Amino acid sequence: MIAPFTTPFMGRALAELALLAIVCGPVSVFVFARRLSFVSDALTHTVFPGVVIGFLAGGVEGIFAGALIAAVLTAVVLTLLTRGGALSDDASTAVVLTAMFSIGVALVSRRSSYTNDLTTFLFGRILTVTPRQIAETAVLAVVILALLALGARALLFRTFDPAGAAAAGYRIGWLDLWLNVLVALVVVAAVRAVGTILVVALLIVPAAAARMLTHRLAAMALLGTMLILAAGYGGLLLSWTASVDHGINLTSASTVVLLLVAAYLVLLPVGLFRARLRRPVLS
Amino acid sequence: MTWWDDALHRATAEVILVGALAGLIGVQVVLRRLSFFTMALTHATFPGVVAASIIGVNIFVGGVAAGAVVALGVAALSRRQGQNAAAATGVVLSGGFALGAGLVATQNGFSRDLSSFLVGSVLTVTPQDLVLTAVVLVVVAGVLAIGARPLLFTGFDRTGARAAGFATTAWDVVLLFTIEVVVVTVGPAVGTILALALIVAPAAAARLWSHRLPVITALAMAFGVLSGLGGLYVSSRWNLAAGASITLVATATLLLSSLLVRIPGRVVPA
Repeated sequence: MIAPFTTPFMGRALAELALLAIVCGPVSVFVFARRLSFVSDALTHTVFPGVVIGFLAGGVEGIFAGALIAAVLTAVVLTLLTRGGALSDDASTAVVLTAMFSIGVALVSRRSSYTNDLTTFLFGRILTVTPRQIAETAVLAVVILALLALGARALLFRTFDPAGAAAAGYRIGWLDLWLNVLVALVVVAAVRAVGTILVVALLIVPAAAARMLTHRLAAMALLGTMLILAAGYGGLLLSWTASVDHGINLTSASTVVLLLVAAYLVLLPVGLFRARLRRPVLS
Repeated sequence: MTWWDDALHRATAEVILVGALAGLIGVQVVLRRLSFFTMALTHATFPGVVAASIIGVNIFVGGVAAGAVVALGVAALSRRQGQNAAAATGVVLSGGFALGAGLVATQNGFSRDLSSFLVGSVLTVTPQDLVLTAVVLVVVAGVLAIGARPLLFTGFDRTGARAAGFATTAWDVVLLFTIEVVVVTVGPAVGTILALALIVAPAAAARLWSHRLPVITALAMAFGVLSGLGGLYVSSRWNLAAGASITLVATATLLLSSLLVRIPGRVVPA
């Protein structure tokens, strides 16, 4: 059970996933409570043009900066658009998502090896994570957790009572921007290593699954982190076993996501049962 | 050599049909705020399409079957009180996409398939695809025409519609299924990202110009067709990916509309 992880690349993959687990547990709780699933999904797509432009401008070193700029830009644009009220939230999110992604695709499509680049972007290269990437993720993880800890009280207040928070003097627009930027940073930290498929899942599924077991936010965050750790370990082990022992080509990113979704489905009846137990008290 | 033998001619016809179809359903998607659901559908029908092509069944059937499961699942999950519909949709999205991508990866030469799934390959549509799109367009138009009153009523006043005796849940499911069929039809030809763009952007643009549903619908279909044709032209002129350029033209239409609507002096229906 531990043997596969003694090979350096498996060990690094697990380390990267563990770092992401620590970050994504708490952040996914806010994504869940504020219903930002679509925004997270959009952010994973909109960093793509940043990745492409960064790569064209500065080679491999430019990717990180490009993704960071694109992600923060998207966070700002999305916050502004949803406040403007010209379109409904979800329509503007959809338009920003498709437009930015298309810019990326249009840029890539002028290069010859473009299908390959797209695939890398989707799946990431979790098995070729370098120590440098782990270091970058670790730095971003510290930044994200610090920002989250600083803003947690205000963000919670705004989540559950926007009118009250505004009356108490909090600036709602800045708080929304704060959270969107946090999600954007998570995407930047994770996307190159683990690909878009896995990032979306890490931001949405853990809290949704943990919500079935508890309604306390701190417990949800902790459970979410544990779920990601378990799914990360299990997914890497499964894909290793499948491809080494059975010759089946199982991508690790997909396996980790599918394990997370499986956890959600297993916990779903528990959540419905708990809701039924509580209902008489509420009504 | 007939007119249909030229790939660019077939692409033009397909783009016109797809633009009209997407605009038609897009009005419902935008008014009912179902963009995220549509996004989830484009990703979650993916495993159905892949599985069907591995087994050797018609991929349209595979996509429709997978999409039906997703539509029913989302409808059931979001009906429960206290359930977070956005989160449930997100789970369906990531799970479906991971399953599809995982299935594709077990086959050989998969990166090509994946990217054509994302950005489509409108230049390789076959006459069969065209016929299928045309048939779906007629069917969807029929369903929306028959359901126009109950759908409108349910969309704006669910409680009132139920009190007036409409089967609101049944109409919701009909709407979700219709969106699903459109997504599955449009997807293979033009790609998932483009499908979402063509469904949302023209309808959102049309929404800015009017408050009357028939007008919005006609405008949305016109914007859809124009974005398609314009994007195709841009793509062949500057050698860009067709799906991406169509999306960008559709976005430009929306941007332009939102600017034009604000010009002072124009009578804006408030």
